[in-house]
Amino acid sequence: MTQRISIDPVTRLEGHGKIEIFLDDNGNVANSYFQIPELRGFERFVVGRPIEEMPLITNRICGVCPEAHHMAAAKAADAVYHVEPPHTAKMLRELLYSAFYCTDHTTHFYALGGPDFVMGPDAPVAERNILGVIHKVGLEIGGKVIQMRRYGHAVVEMIGGRKVHPCTSIPGGMTKGITKEQRQEIEEMGHWAVDFAQFSLKLFNDIVLGNKTYVDLILGDVYTHHTYSMGMVDVNNKVNFYNGKVRVVDPNGKEFIKYAPKEYMHHIAEHVEPWTYLKFPYLKNVGWKGFVDGIDSGVYMATPLSRLNVADGMATPRAQEEYDRFYKTLGGKPVHQRLAIHWARLIELLYAAERWVELVTDPEITSPDIHTKPTQIPTEGVGIVEAPRGTLTHHYWTDELGRVTKANLIVGTTNNYAPIQMSTKKAAENLIKNGVVNEGLLNMVEMAFRAYDPCFGCATHSLPGQMPLEITIRDADGNPLEVLKQFC
Amino acid sequence: MKTIIVGLGNPILGDDGVGWKVAEEIQKQLPQFPLQDAGKIDVICLSLGGLGLMEHLIGYDRAILIDAFSTDDQPGSILIMKLNELPNYSAYHTTSAHDTSLQKAIEFGKSMGAKLPEDVEVVGITTVRVHDFSEELSPPVADVVSFAARIVLDLLQQLHIHKEQYV
Repeated sequence: MTQRISIDPVTRLEGHGKIEIFLDDNGNVANSYFQIPELRGFERFVVGRPIEEMPLITNRICGVCPEAHHMAAAKAADAVYHVEPPHTAKMLRELLYSAFYCTDHTTHFYALGGPDFVMGPDAPVAERNILGVIHKVGLEIGGKVIQMRRYGHAVVEMIGGRKVHPCTSIPGGMTKGITKEQRQEIEEMGHWAVDFAQFSLKLFNDIVLGNKTYVDLILGDVYTHHTYSMGMVDVNNKVNFYNGKVRVVDPNGKEFIKYAPKEYMHHIAEHVEPWTYLKFPYLKNVGWKGFVDGIDSGVYMATPLSRLNVADGMATPRAQEEYDRFYKTLGGKPVHQRLAIHWARLIELLYAAERWVELVTDPEITSPDIHTKPTQIPTEGVGIVEAPRGTLTHHYWTDELGRVTKANLIVGTTNNYAPIQMSTKKAAENLIKNGVVNEGLLNMVEMAFRAYDPCFGCATHSLPGQMPLEITIRDADGNPLEVLKQFC
Repeated sequence: MKTIIVGLGNPILGDDGVGWKVAEEIQKQLPQFPLQDAGKIDVICLSLGGLGLMEHLIGYDRAILIDAFSTDDQPGSILIMKLNELPNYSAYHTTSAHDTSLQKAIEFGKSMGAKLPEDVEVVGITTVRVHDFSEELSPPVADVVSFAARIVLDLLQQLHIHKEQYV
């Protein structure tokens, strides 16, 4: 078993999506390590810069979800200046954010997560992509995906001032509003987005839920972990991406804590492991018990599925219907099967589209009252939003002139580092028995972490070539037995 | 003939921002550079990969991407490649961890009827440090910015460049 298998050549892979699997003397999995390098020096980089620059700088952290960083930083900057933006400003930010969510969730489902199901988990990697999907299901789907992305970009540009990296949120509100003509245009696009989200859910229903093999895969034990769930909720405990409190429920679905953004440090701590630079956040008041499931383990997930698990429902009618169907089909709350994250993501897509229409049809959305002038001395502030990949926390401290003296960020994917580690290990355990490595290992491991939609762009940033995955299997003495590589 | 030159990268992540710096240099040099029949040329800077990057290339006949590379070559080495030659090398932003590779995205866009460049060339600069937040480039990378810009301007006059390497 000393054969080296290279599925695709990759140049430098150090630390990028790298999984080390150690076997025991019997050839079964003793341990598995999913390694991601961390970007360094952000806290140092921002020290001395004005707090109002943070929404502009932090959206450069990552090319995948700049809108999420823009919003979290803007909310933190409001808090630093102790200022409350006017109602219209908050609605404009949330409207932009809803359109962004539609683009982002669409991209993940059709380009990344969906292909595993639409093409099937056993399909060759070359077919498990967006092209495979359109070849199998039809060209019109591709056109809809492009249209959805175009509309999402258009709304971000109209409200955010730029197509990709918005620049209009400032402490106390927004630098610009929207005209009545723009409102009309955004509303039309929003109605189209609602139809598209419903179409996507129907596609999932027909292709995935209509196929017993896929349903068995989703409900199977390989992709199940009983952890705590985290997500933001509004005053009615309904899912909200932009505003509210962070709610955590235990593995049985009971509320464990609900906290305001500024209280996060009382509830979240970070565990350090010697084999990775990235830290593992966990629930401080439960404690770190290792990479284990259960009510006594502080491990939590922050994903579309956990957001549904922590909420009492969705704030919009069609999404609520889908929410009810989701839990009815999967046997009640909470759901722990990680592959159900894909379905939850589509329910969130529908909610985001409905919320888009709700906000843009509010009579106050074109009001010129979009900024509250800050008058107090800046000090310290926390801003939290739900990024598509999990709860995103920005925390800044400033001097009396508003210059940053310290910063702390917990990005979406980081929340899920422990569960991703556990899911990849479990997939490996199921596919390596007595020294025999099942040939489906790479696909199954890939599906395990892909469900979380991990943003290596944020947690790690640069990737060589295409997104690579390398798995090294080592014997009990640490000698490499096999190296598996492929582009995901 | 419409050409787009795209500086790719993250301007606050050390050497990863080299694509932007080269694109800015091209913008400076372009008015003085004698180009014959080059047609319309747009120069932009982006922090995108995959589908998002593809969407910016729609409507162009030719695209030249400038990106940070990860290779075992000497830092500051410049590689010129066709997009479809890439997988053995590593251009950071022709992919996105979150969606699909640029190659797949272009194929997808074309199958949807979008007008996309037949030829996408990639000019890559081998980097030193891409995991530390900084607006500065490492010295060996900073030293080749002007040369890389000149290479792109030369490329503008050539339609069919095959893989070459400048060290």
